[in-house]
Amino acid sequence: MRISHRPVALVFAAVLGAACRPSEKVVKIAVAVPLTGDMGTEGQGLRRGVTMALEEINASHRYPFRLEAAPFDDRADPKEAVNVANLIVSDPEILAVVGPYNSGCGIPAAKVYARSSVAMVSPAATNPEVTAQQLSPEWTGPKNVFRVVPTDDVQGEAAARFAYRRLGKRRMALVHDKTPYGQGIAEQFQKTFTALGGRVVTVDGISVGDKDFKALLTKIKSDAASAEGVYFGGLYTEAGLILKQMKELAMTPRLIFISGDGSKTPGIFDVAGDAADGAYLSIVGIPVEDLPSAREFIVRYKKRWTAAGEELRPFDHFGYEATMIVSEALARMAPTPAQLPLDRAAMIAQLRKTDYMGMLGRTTFDAKGDTGNKIVTMTVAHSRDRSFESIR
Amino acid sequence: MLAQQIVNALTLGAIYALIALGYTMVYGILELINFAHSEVLMLGAFVALGLFRFFPGAFGAGLWGFALIFAASMFLAGLVNVAIERFAYRPLRGASRLAPLISAIGVSIVLQNGVFLGVNTQSLPFPQPSGIRSFLLPGGAAVSSLQILILTAALALMGLLHYIIQYTKVGKAMRACADDVATAGLMGINSNSVIALTFFIGGALGGAAGVLYGANYGSIKYNMGFLPGMKAFTAAVLGGIGNTRGALLGGFLLGLLEVFSAGYIPTGAQWRDVVSFGVLIAVLLIRPAGLLGASTGEKV
Repeated sequence: MRISHRPVALVFAAVLGAACRPSEKVVKIAVAVPLTGDMGTEGQGLRRGVTMALEEINASHRYPFRLEAAPFDDRADPKEAVNVANLIVSDPEILAVVGPYNSGCGIPAAKVYARSSVAMVSPAATNPEVTAQQLSPEWTGPKNVFRVVPTDDVQGEAAARFAYRRLGKRRMALVHDKTPYGQGIAEQFQKTFTALGGRVVTVDGISVGDKDFKALLTKIKSDAASAEGVYFGGLYTEAGLILKQMKELAMTPRLIFISGDGSKTPGIFDVAGDAADGAYLSIVGIPVEDLPSAREFIVRYKKRWTAAGEELRPFDHFGYEATMIVSEALARMAPTPAQLPLDRAAMIAQLRKTDYMGMLGRTTFDAKGDTGNKIVTMTVAHSRDRSFESIR
Repeated sequence: MLAQQIVNALTLGAIYALIALGYTMVYGILELINFAHSEVLMLGAFVALGLFRFFPGAFGAGLWGFALIFAASMFLAGLVNVAIERFAYRPLRGASRLAPLISAIGVSIVLQNGVFLGVNTQSLPFPQPSGIRSFLLPGGAAVSSLQILILTAALALMGLLHYIIQYTKVGKAMRACADDVATAGLMGINSNSVIALTFFIGGALGGAAGVLYGANYGSIKYNMGFLPGMKAFTAAVLGGIGNTRGALLGGFLLGLLEVFSAGYIPTGAQWRDVVSFGVLIAVLLIRPAGLLGASTGEKV
């Protein structure tokens, strides 16, 4: 018996037709951050900030298409960040990138984005080189790098002033993790601290992933120059271990501990426990909890993200703000659905004209793409309620 | 400062030595480098954390609770190692020497990623035995009771291992298998179960090291085994792989080398690994079999 193929073919066509229905117009904003690994919690927070911003923009029907977050995991690894960047530039639906989190990732990834004229707006990478590299003669692409966080120069400098003026420390030991971020803030600290008249007695590099710093700390403790504190450039895992081992060696509280925003995350309490008490951690900008302009944002954030582990992380509002700034630039392009995929170079040109009033205050970009907002806040850690109290 | 650095070196060395024993025992009997050993260490620490979290009634931070956690983690880590041998190495025993080596690397990747994907990707806080006190030794060195506990536990386990290998019937069988598996089999020794037992003991030592490592540094993570595993493997080679006393010597020597290069060379912290591995190369050039590698006939 011969079965007619016709009805089958018809059903097929119907199914295919349904699947291939001209889909809704979409413009994607890539979020290239660490989503797994030690820095995964920060990256996931950033992703939440960006997602929330895009949801709010879509809800207001501001554009004749939908904005969508496209998350990519760079695992805080510079090599992976380059792979991710290559993936991103090859997707024409992606208009701009919010990310990366790490300076070490931002420096090489920015070059990949520049080759394809994709704008990169970093919500967290603070090493000056991330934007400064655009001034080098080898930089051939457009100046596509922007960031909404102040750089390490201001962070290391503020920490040095704080140690010298506020705490009256004159001799500090420097430890950094040899990454562009860690070494960067440590060098800025050294520059300012020495200029003020203080003395940096030792400078040591450690490796990310090492757990035992007791030999180094013992050396600092018994050094004839008797440092009055340790300034650490690096991230929270190593910072937590150093704090824990300083306590075990009876160095704290006689010696103070200061570090930067890479260590200011609740994760430090998981590693150091109550040894984190009294650690001074600087952050760029004003803690979102202290920003009157961000009160609304926090309320909305807590309403939107309620699952376990979805607490507000230190950079989420930067991710939100970066996305809003991208959206402002997009609005100036006055895009229509017919223009899709949108012109990436026009996006860069519009971002350059940014003058945005948001919860961080007024954001404008200088010639390098750095924000004009340059505030640093010093906080002190309290393990009892896993909080950071701002010092005014 | 010297006293403090010696304390630091002994704690670090004890952990390295304990891990190195696991490498060296397996190598001694099968001439196989068990690359999955660092993952057995990591699993030991995760088992301990799991017991602590989910059975707070039986296992706790008190002395007995912690001892129970320690024993249970050792036992389970031993079983894991036996399972690895049974399923990943034994079927390949007749194959070329490269096959089990690749299999070992595969097991290591599978276990590490299994924990990464199935358990947690972050640093997790590890319970500390309660009532840790810090003492000030003459010479100004600060020692915590935890460090003393680590050193005691490590030395006691090494002593127990030495006793088992040298003075028990099983130990004799293990030494016989290390000399020649086939001949030992002909002499009526069930070589499969002796090898399984060797893996069990090696794994249990790895699990013990994992718990001590976690307790000492206060946090654990899916990839925590890699670095100490590499270092301990180095220690085993330094001491003469296949030789248990060599593993002990190598472990403590590496601990001393690391601590003293970080503590006494200016900006030595970043040179630490360069110095340690430089010494390893130098030792191997002079004594290719390691420090104690050739001095004894038996390999376990």
